[in-house]
Amino acid sequence: MTRIELPLQPNGTKVPWSYLPRQFDARSVEEILDRLRAFVPTGDFTLGKPVRAFEERFARLIGTSHAIGVNSGTDALKLSLKALGVGPGDEVVTAANTFIATIGAIAENFARPVLVDCTDNFCMDLDKLEAAITPRTKAIMPVHLAGQMTDMPALMDIADRHKLPVVEDSCQCILGSIDGRNAGTFGLAGGFSLHPLKNLNVWGDGGIIVTGNDDFALKLRRLRNHGLADRDSVVMLGCNSRLDSLQAVIGNWLIDQVEFITATRIKNAGYLDSELAKLPQIRLPQRFNNRRLVFHLYIVFAERRDALLAHCRKAGVEAKVHYPIPVYRQEGLQQFGYRKGDFPVTDRQAETMISLPAHEHLTAEQLAYMVQTVTEFYQG
Amino acid sequence: MTEHDIPYVNLRAQADEQMPELAAIFERVVRRGSLVGSGEEIERLEARLADYCGTREAVALNSGTDALFLALKVAGIGAGDEVITPPNSFIASTAVIVHLGARPVFVDVLADQNINPAAIEQAITPRTRAIMPVHLTGRMCRMDTIMELAERHGLRVIEDAAQSIGSMLQGRKSGSFGHFGCFSAHPLKNLNALGDAGFVATNDSAAAARMRRLRTHGLADRERAEEWGFVSRMDVLQAAILDYRLDKLPGVIAKRRENAALYQRLIKHEKVFVPPCRQDEFNTFHTFVIQAERRDELQRHLRSIGIRTAIHYPVPIHLQPAAASLGYRRGDFPAAERQAERILTLPVNQYMSTADVETVAGEVLAFYRG
Repeated sequence: MTRIELPLQPNGTKVPWSYLPRQFDARSVEEILDRLRAFVPTGDFTLGKPVRAFEERFARLIGTSHAIGVNSGTDALKLSLKALGVGPGDEVVTAANTFIATIGAIAENFARPVLVDCTDNFCMDLDKLEAAITPRTKAIMPVHLAGQMTDMPALMDIADRHKLPVVEDSCQCILGSIDGRNAGTFGLAGGFSLHPLKNLNVWGDGGIIVTGNDDFALKLRRLRNHGLADRDSVVMLGCNSRLDSLQAVIGNWLIDQVEFITATRIKNAGYLDSELAKLPQIRLPQRFNNRRLVFHLYIVFAERRDALLAHCRKAGVEAKVHYPIPVYRQEGLQQFGYRKGDFPVTDRQAETMISLPAHEHLTAEQLAYMVQTVTEFYQG
Repeated sequence: MTEHDIPYVNLRAQADEQMPELAAIFERVVRRGSLVGSGEEIERLEARLADYCGTREAVALNSGTDALFLALKVAGIGAGDEVITPPNSFIASTAVIVHLGARPVFVDVLADQNINPAAIEQAITPRTRAIMPVHLTGRMCRMDTIMELAERHGLRVIEDAAQSIGSMLQGRKSGSFGHFGCFSAHPLKNLNALGDAGFVATNDSAAAARMRRLRTHGLADRERAEEWGFVSRMDVLQAAILDYRLDKLPGVIAKRRENAALYQRLIKHEKVFVPPCRQDEFNTFHTFVIQAERRDELQRHLRSIGIRTAIHYPVPIHLQPAAASLGYRRGDFPAAERQAERILTLPVNQYMSTADVETVAGEVLAFYRG
């Protein structure tokens, strides 16, 4: 087989991590600018029509009755917990290997994050969940990390038995599903991020919460907008955490493409899975026949990870690690008293995991080049 | 019968005037693909805002509410602390205090709607940690007196300057007197983004650095979280728009001052109180608020003839359902409560012509002539 050579991209790599410059090709930018030219003169900047339209379309997409646009994925989680009444002295059980925002959302409500180790599907190890539940537990927040799915039917059984509400951290898992049921629709609520690097994104910070509960939805709508029931009545103390109308205009444009984006990522991941599985030094995370994994991140476990990472980078493959320091060992978490070694699976993964680009703008050649780069590292 | 067509705000006129430039900004920012958190646009805007406000630092954030919240947080305000503030502001000013676990202590206001410095002194207790004056409508509080008071009692001062960018007292800008000045760039502000945005101005560089971490998950760099943070970044798109509009701000302020001065000349009536401007203040008139008898009737009448007005704010914070647990009652702040029944905000935006202002003033006077 001939060796693949690729030209350098504008950012100095051959397989770039960020696809944003591609998302904004000339035709797309013109289309969006046309929409913005029509939108800006309406002056409808705060919780305007585009937000309502996006919320309706997002709720339909996910298959639930309400979607509430907020300022970020972090705020989606924070406000969901706040609406549940989570506060000082309460505990929220979540996954030890998550991005810090999950823990931040709990800490912002003055509650204590209680961490549970993960399995090799990057999600909470449900065998360890019940041991983490105490009389102070107020909610369970599973994390569908990297587009993987927590075993939600099993988790809901445990939650129901303990009568605990569940908020799904679905920030990285738009359109992930189990037996056709989407992430965010198993629990009371699901929080999603619309950050520029998510599968469905806007052009700044953004987030959205889904719920099938009418009262909970109403509470969230008030919390995100200063607790206002109408312009002049404050029924609870809220925050300012609104999805900008301007960003909703972008979201409404991109939501038409999200099925294509998702399917392409799954296809790219399938190719990488089949090729990388041939290397004994690479181990794939668990895959499941009945779960649709959407590969917000494409992660594998690699021997000599740091050397592989350096090798990829040198070859122009913009590989990354999500996340090299587990959240429980971050300085910010010292107050909760966790120590190195408390979560052995999380620790082991932090040392072996590597994320490769799998986004919808990759060419077949770029995908093959990545496989070649990793193969050459191990086989010379 | 609608005789006039005078809107309260006119964002359409602003869009018509600026659309080609705004579209060019969208395109430039988006093609670079850096849309969140940091980068050239944010740094440039922060430097220019600091320069404009006369402070060492400015920190770009997601909203004016978040500016207040993070300023209070880095000022060390937390559980058990008391923060003195007026009850006639927008709800966000008080909510951020409560969200930090602290207690808002309200004091009454002067005839010009701004906090009464004499009342502040009476409200100080051993638990008082900060004063949060609000420069309501774009009018400066008596910051000279308030700062002197704060220094004497060792209190932090967080200026709620959400409505007062560019306003001055004795030649010094709002937001530069206290330890922190908190600004909003909401679409309806004098310096406005196309969505939520805000910033904090301060001379405290260490505090600014901490706010820059807190606005992005507490991260010192991509991998290291030094403390629990938040997501409160100004969108790069909004920063680029504000950078462009900052050049236009002096013109916006000049036109609003001109409109306000005309109102002040024209609206002279015993039933209407128009707070006068002091010699040493430079008011930017985010809003132009009169205090009028038969206010609701006047507002309905103006609406019926095509003049849109607003009320900022009809229910004082201490009487809102959300404030029930603070234990205040009607009658606690007579000046603020009385004003809530009389205040009416007339349109004063920079797209109003002299004739528009004359029309509004004339119709207000005509209403009382009956």
